[in-house]
Amino acid sequence: MENKPTSGSLSSKHGQGQLYAQQSAINLSSTYNDTKIFLLPRDPAWCYAYWEVSVDKKDELVRKYGDNSLYNLWLRVYDVTSLDFDGTNAHRYFDIKINSEAINWYINVPQTNRSWCVDLGIKLSEEKFITIARSNIVVMPRYGVSALTDEQWAVLQREFERLLELSGVQMIGRSSFDIAKLMKERWEELLAISQIHGLISSGFVSSFKKEQKGQEKNFYLVADTELIVYGETMPNAKLIIQNEEYKLSSDGRFSLRMGLPDGVKEIPIKAISEDGTMEREIKFTVTRKTEWNEGSK
Amino acid sequence: MPQGYWCLVLHNHLPYVRHPEYEDFLEEDWFYEAMSETYIPILNIMENLLKDGIDFRITMSLTPPLCNMMADKLLQDRYYNKLSKLIELSEKEVWRLKDREPFYTTAKMYEQNFKICMRVYEKYNRNILSAYKNLQDSGKLEIITCNATHGFLPLMSNDRVRRAQIRMAVKDYNTKFGRNPRGIWLAECAYTYGVDKILKENEIQFFFIEAHGILYGEPRPRYGVFAPVYTPSGVAVFARDMETAHQVWSADVGYPGDPDYREFYRDIGYDTEYEYIKPYLHQDGVRRNIGIKYYRVTGRVGLDKKEPYNVHWAMEKAASHAGNFMFNREHQIRYLRNIFDREPIVVSMYDAELYGHWWYEGPKFLDYLFRKIHYDQDIFKTILPTEYLQMYSRNQIQNPSASSWGDKGYFEVWLNGTNDWIYRHLHKCEELMCAAVDRFNKDNIDQLTQRVLNQLSRELLLAQSSDWAFIMTTGTMVEYAQKRTRDHISNFQTLYYQLIENRIDHGFLNWLEYKNNIFPDIDYKIYL
Repeated sequence: MENKPTSGSLSSKHGQGQLYAQQSAINLSSTYNDTKIFLLPRDPAWCYAYWEVSVDKKDELVRKYGDNSLYNLWLRVYDVTSLDFDGTNAHRYFDIKINSEAINWYINVPQTNRSWCVDLGIKLSEEKFITIARSNIVVMPRYGVSALTDEQWAVLQREFERLLELSGVQMIGRSSFDIAKLMKERWEELLAISQIHGLISSGFVSSFKKEQKGQEKNFYLVADTELIVYGETMPNAKLIIQNEEYKLSSDGRFSLRMGLPDGVKEIPIKAISEDGTMEREIKFTVTRKTEWNEGSK
Repeated sequence: MPQGYWCLVLHNHLPYVRHPEYEDFLEEDWFYEAMSETYIPILNIMENLLKDGIDFRITMSLTPPLCNMMADKLLQDRYYNKLSKLIELSEKEVWRLKDREPFYTTAKMYEQNFKICMRVYEKYNRNILSAYKNLQDSGKLEIITCNATHGFLPLMSNDRVRRAQIRMAVKDYNTKFGRNPRGIWLAECAYTYGVDKILKENEIQFFFIEAHGILYGEPRPRYGVFAPVYTPSGVAVFARDMETAHQVWSADVGYPGDPDYREFYRDIGYDTEYEYIKPYLHQDGVRRNIGIKYYRVTGRVGLDKKEPYNVHWAMEKAASHAGNFMFNREHQIRYLRNIFDREPIVVSMYDAELYGHWWYEGPKFLDYLFRKIHYDQDIFKTILPTEYLQMYSRNQIQNPSASSWGDKGYFEVWLNGTNDWIYRHLHKCEELMCAAVDRFNKDNIDQLTQRVLNQLSRELLLAQSSDWAFIMTTGTMVEYAQKRTRDHISNFQTLYYQLIENRIDHGFLNWLEYKNNIFPDIDYKIYL
């Protein structure tokens, strides 16, 4: 099976390179056999936790708390704002039941501008929570204008509101200004309103695409069609196809391959004699229609 | 005395894409296209402004990955070949379209533009970094650095690895530009608590943040986004002005969507006869964008209904948009000056690649804009952040909010269902990196161990590039981003266990050093 990218062959300059290049792992190990939980902020209202429990730790839990303990996993989310958190002094906490296969979770926190810490654990009863691992503390990104004002840099409320407006507070988070997104959106819009469909011009094809071949999940079909126009005339004639002049080969033959988008395409072919006195024209009208079907058997 | 200041910041960045193991590689085109359409044209414009005595100021981040690509011999030579082919094709185009106006004028424009690129490129012996350095030395341009591999600081696991991103950036800047960077562009403007301390340690004086970084900061900002603040550790922060962002970016009212401007998606890679274009395609012969386009945006019409591009109309439009932009700044700055007790600063931040690559007339717009600002008005002046801080050294002290300039303003673009799987692996590598450095960094460390630690640093830094998570979210070229992430993580872990288990495969190490060669003078001590 071919195992190289679409656009190139491995250069042979670097002896063993080819070997190493093909060795590179496709799948990373799914576990590092650690026992830990880590918390990341996503925005003022959400954080993301991922975790894993080592084989030894799992054995220990089963030994101590029974076979079902691994099906009784919970996240305990503590509000630890401005605290030196010791596991008991949180302002409050709430629990989330997680399914036993989960290895990560998006957590919606009930209040903005707070700090959070999460325990992964087993809940034996309302009172008895066994912590397996404790996360780092996350100070959430702020949401909303601060209530604190600075004496040295005081500003009147009304003036401040006007300033916020001038600063574009109403546009926060609403507009994304990144090229990749903009370009993709425009491309999709163009596709939607164009007569032209098919695999043209997006330019979004990766060199590495082919490596995924054979993986069922990424099963795909790529196909396109183009048009070949050919013929012959007097070797010294002038040949014009779609208003453009083309060179004839020395025996008067011609052959050219053109892009063929969906829709109707007219291809007028005209030959004019060398002295300009005679003309012959042939016109093709070609229709392309692409249908897409997805399914599984 | 002007009533206020306008500060333009262009963020120049591409991820480190360099594949010596292939003769021909698609994703390297990102670099080649940006060279021809953005970097060299803007460089050329700045040089002409300087030559013509126009007083202008531009702040530019040139990220370490981009600088390393610009300085790389292999990519320099490959770009030279690409550009030579484009010149050859553009000459053929001029001939092909000789009787067909307005296509002919457009073809002449491409020929001329590519030849200007080549002239600039050759003038600097294929290394345009020296051109930027000259401009910086003239005082008109301030080059700032960026996280070493555009790593997304808020989603890293600890401050040691965040610090390494900044230390490496400073060191690399120093080798490229002969002094320390005064400012930094935090990748994706992503700021989180404590980053300012790391910047301070590295003697960085200022950075940039999204508008709500300051608007939501504590305490309330006295001047909104129109003056810098100092973080508690004493680093200055400038926030983005949303009005100017919107004016250029917005899909509805933004300049680049004007009907007279060039349509990006009609390219001769698709529009011309196959045998004719084939020599200019990649080795696989698949039709792709070449970079020569003859149609204009026209309006909200399908690709088949686009009308021919008219160079003169487009240039006139760029000039009129420049006039409009300047007029709006005069109005905005005059208004702000009236309600403030000092001159405001309006900071406009853009991805540089917007200008030229996407908005083809963008560099020309900038050219017209700086000339007009110089000659046609005296309400405001352009300025560098350091100049503003010299004028106003006393600023409010504030704790900015964690934020980014990505969609929705925080970290979701880099942390969602398409890419959240990467963090457990990245964090593991971060942990192992610190452990390896702690264990092996001794006075008598042997050369082989040093090389391994250095290559581990490169692999980790490359794996951390925010570009991969970003691409996974946008959903295009995803395979490449996933593979790059997996490859660097896998390289890191393979090499790490070879080191720990004392069975280093020299061939593998050589191969990685050859292939992933960013930061030739890297030193693993950035992790100490």
